[in-house]
Amino acid sequence: MAISVQQLTKSYRVHHKEAGLRSSLRNLFARRYELVEAVKQVSFEVAQGEIVGFLGPNGAGKTTTLKCLAGLLHPNAGSAEVLGFTPHNRERAFLKQITLVMGQRNQLLWDLPAMETFLVNQAIYGVPEREFRATLQELVALLGLEPLLTKQVRKLSLGERMKCELAASLLHRPRVLFLDEPTLGLDVTAQAAIRDFLRAYNQQYAVTVLLTSHYMADVTALAKRVLVIDHGELKYDGDLHALVEQTAPYKLLRLTLQQPVDSADLTRLGEIESLNGLEVTLRVPRDATKLVMAQVLASLPVEDVMIEEPPIEQIIRDVFQHGASYA
Amino acid sequence: MHNLLRAYRGLFRANVAIAFTYRAQAVIWMLSFVFPLVMLAVWLAVVDQAGPVGGYNRGDFISYYLVGAVLYRFVLMGLTYHWDHEIRTGELSVRLLKPLDPFHYYLSEQLGWKVLDLLILVPLALVAALLIPGVHYALSPARLLAFVFSVVLGMTINVCISSAFGMIAFWTTQSRNLFELWSGIGQFLSGFIAPLPLFPLFMQRVAAVLPFRNSVGLPVDILMGRVGWAATGQGLLVGALWALGACMIYRVLWRLGLRRYEAVGA
Amino acid sequence: MHAYLRLLTIFYRNAIINELEYRLNLWSRLLLSLFWLGWSAVGVSVFYVHVDRIAGWSYYELLVVLGMFVITNGFRQLVLEPNLSQMTEYVRMGTLDYILTKPVNSQFMVSLRNLNIFSLNEPLLGAGLIGYSLWHLRHLPSPAAFALFGLLTIAALLVLYSLNLLLQTLTFWLVNLENADALVGSVVEAGRLPVAFYGGWVRWALTAFIPVAFVTTFPAEALLGRLDGRIAVVAVVLAALLLLAATTFWNVALRSYTSASS
Repeated sequence: MAISVQQLTKSYRVHHKEAGLRSSLRNLFARRYELVEAVKQVSFEVAQGEIVGFLGPNGAGKTTTLKCLAGLLHPNAGSAEVLGFTPHNRERAFLKQITLVMGQRNQLLWDLPAMETFLVNQAIYGVPEREFRATLQELVALLGLEPLLTKQVRKLSLGERMKCELAASLLHRPRVLFLDEPTLGLDVTAQAAIRDFLRAYNQQYAVTVLLTSHYMADVTALAKRVLVIDHGELKYDGDLHALVEQTAPYKLLRLTLQQPVDSADLTRLGEIESLNGLEVTLRVPRDATKLVMAQVLASLPVEDVMIEEPPIEQIIRDVFQHGASYA
Repeated sequence: MHNLLRAYRGLFRANVAIAFTYRAQAVIWMLSFVFPLVMLAVWLAVVDQAGPVGGYNRGDFISYYLVGAVLYRFVLMGLTYHWDHEIRTGELSVRLLKPLDPFHYYLSEQLGWKVLDLLILVPLALVAALLIPGVHYALSPARLLAFVFSVVLGMTINVCISSAFGMIAFWTTQSRNLFELWSGIGQFLSGFIAPLPLFPLFMQRVAAVLPFRNSVGLPVDILMGRVGWAATGQGLLVGALWALGACMIYRVLWRLGLRRYEAVGA
Repeated sequence: MHAYLRLLTIFYRNAIINELEYRLNLWSRLLLSLFWLGWSAVGVSVFYVHVDRIAGWSYYELLVVLGMFVITNGFRQLVLEPNLSQMTEYVRMGTLDYILTKPVNSQFMVSLRNLNIFSLNEPLLGAGLIGYSLWHLRHLPSPAAFALFGLLTIAALLVLYSLNLLLQTLTFWLVNLENADALVGSVVEAGRLPVAFYGGWVRWALTAFIPVAFVTTFPAEALLGRLDGRIAVVAVVLAALLLLAATTFWNVALRSYTSASS
């Protein structure tokens, strides 16, 4: 196992600050603290070469877990093991095999071309010259960095910067990648480019990737397996599609009608998800899909029918909103 | 005018809150009074060794630096740094979209810190004035009024001049450096380093016609009763003229600079 | 050791490339340094308008101390300000997280990663001022005095560094300490003058409690040939102890950072 986490628990103190002068004055003398349990007894394992996505709303404990695994935080209880190391000891041999990329943080030298950061990281990780050149060449090709190398970092677009950031983080050929919101704030094309790169890189080198992202598309595109975390607790660990089937026991029937029909006729067949002129979407129970389909074709003037899985964003939203049960 | 006041109240609250959040910083910052204390310590050593210097005895020196050090902190305005930063990074563009002149954001931030000054430094200075033997001021309602007036005048001058220096950022990257040079000269000619009467005569003459004296020397002298009413009036007049002039220069440079800024499209 | 030297070469090569972009600034900083040097020298001369000697120090002897102040203060701006003083920023921006995930000693990284080459001229100017003053005094220090001066200067820089590290490490608990370097800076301000200028408890505090005397006065006295040899021993021991204390504190703080922060 590349990563093994047992009963990991992490809590920390935060201090409160209300608006206003009076509370500012009060804060000057006494601060109120509260203990927040960010991660509660989380256990999971990840095999070498796997890509695992973390899902969960803001503040659910995704980043905290990631930081514990990268060795930035001591867990309060439980244990974590990455590549056979205890992360928070931050042994050199461990650090040389991992990398951390944070979408909203920057490690590139701001006023210099990205190449200078690459050279710095080469020195920091002690990458031999020939290996460095080879790796760099590959990354440049994979990420399309060629035209960016000589430009000052601050003149790069957000997407270009993230590409350089990734290259800088991979020069030492880490075996485990921790990616915290790597596509945050990027436009759709840049997001797709980063995603494609990560998939290709993972396939080529069998690196282990732990990924958190707000963008469901990142997770669905990259990770077969997801960990759902909510309020610090691990709610689900398993196949993404199984999650969909379990938590969304329905499918969507998209109908295009030839002429308008009475909505009562539609409700008989299933719950109306949307009704827009001749375009209708119905929710039907998963195991009754075929039956309903037959009824639709028999009783309605349809032009076209499609059966679809509900969009995963919506499923996850439902899960967090209604606390749906996870099997 | 009413709207402006309301905007200030909002900005002010936020800025005071910010200043208070940095309490650790505030404590440390209070300690950055060492330079005047260093000068005071040496004067005391000199007085102990050779008797009163230029009409200043032990108590006079302590009285002078006690008020002078606080005043310098209080009257000093660093708007140049705000302007320079926002012009060079282009953040000014965002400000320009708001219905309030960017000047007010910077000024209110500075004033937020001054509130912290008042609340912490003035009580400290008062306690020190009461406890240290030999500290004395010529307190009368008229003098206090003149003192407050000269302090406000000093602040106004510094607000306008530091803004005028900030405008230089529209043309070159050197506005901070130029302002640093100006401030350095000011530390001599304001009386921050030492009471002006202890400097050679020509420096006193130069100081009398420049705007620096309003920051430290004049208000302290008023408070200590070292200047007569005629000299006080003269000093305030020089200050008022500088305030007016600096304000006009700042506004003219602002118009010109803005035109340039918009043309370049920074 | 070799690896670290290599790292420094790369870091500072970057610093230089970085700053050469702003050539105009390089010149104006040089001019400003000259201005502040003159400012300091003229500033203290105001005392000597009224007396010839203060606490046994003549004007030019005083300038030797002032020169030492410019050197150490220059070191502060050259090395300490672009590194340790950024600690708050490092914590806030997550740079510290990146530093901690690198297989390099973290204290080394936060202490020496950057170099403010604009301030490179300050130590040179300070040395110039010392040279000028010694020439005025017609005093040529013996080789032994020079050696002692060198030793005490190294001790002085280590003292400054350690104090700064101790203070900046507090950032881990007090989030906003951006002005901590201003504190060190202003304490060092007291080192513009020989400690003998200060009366009673202040002199004692500046020698024993906040060791400003070790930063400027004692090295200057070594050069002027009037330093008690025993003080040199104390200086070296003090520097070593402070460095040890600061390093220990840093490691303790790091452990606390990784167990406390979010």
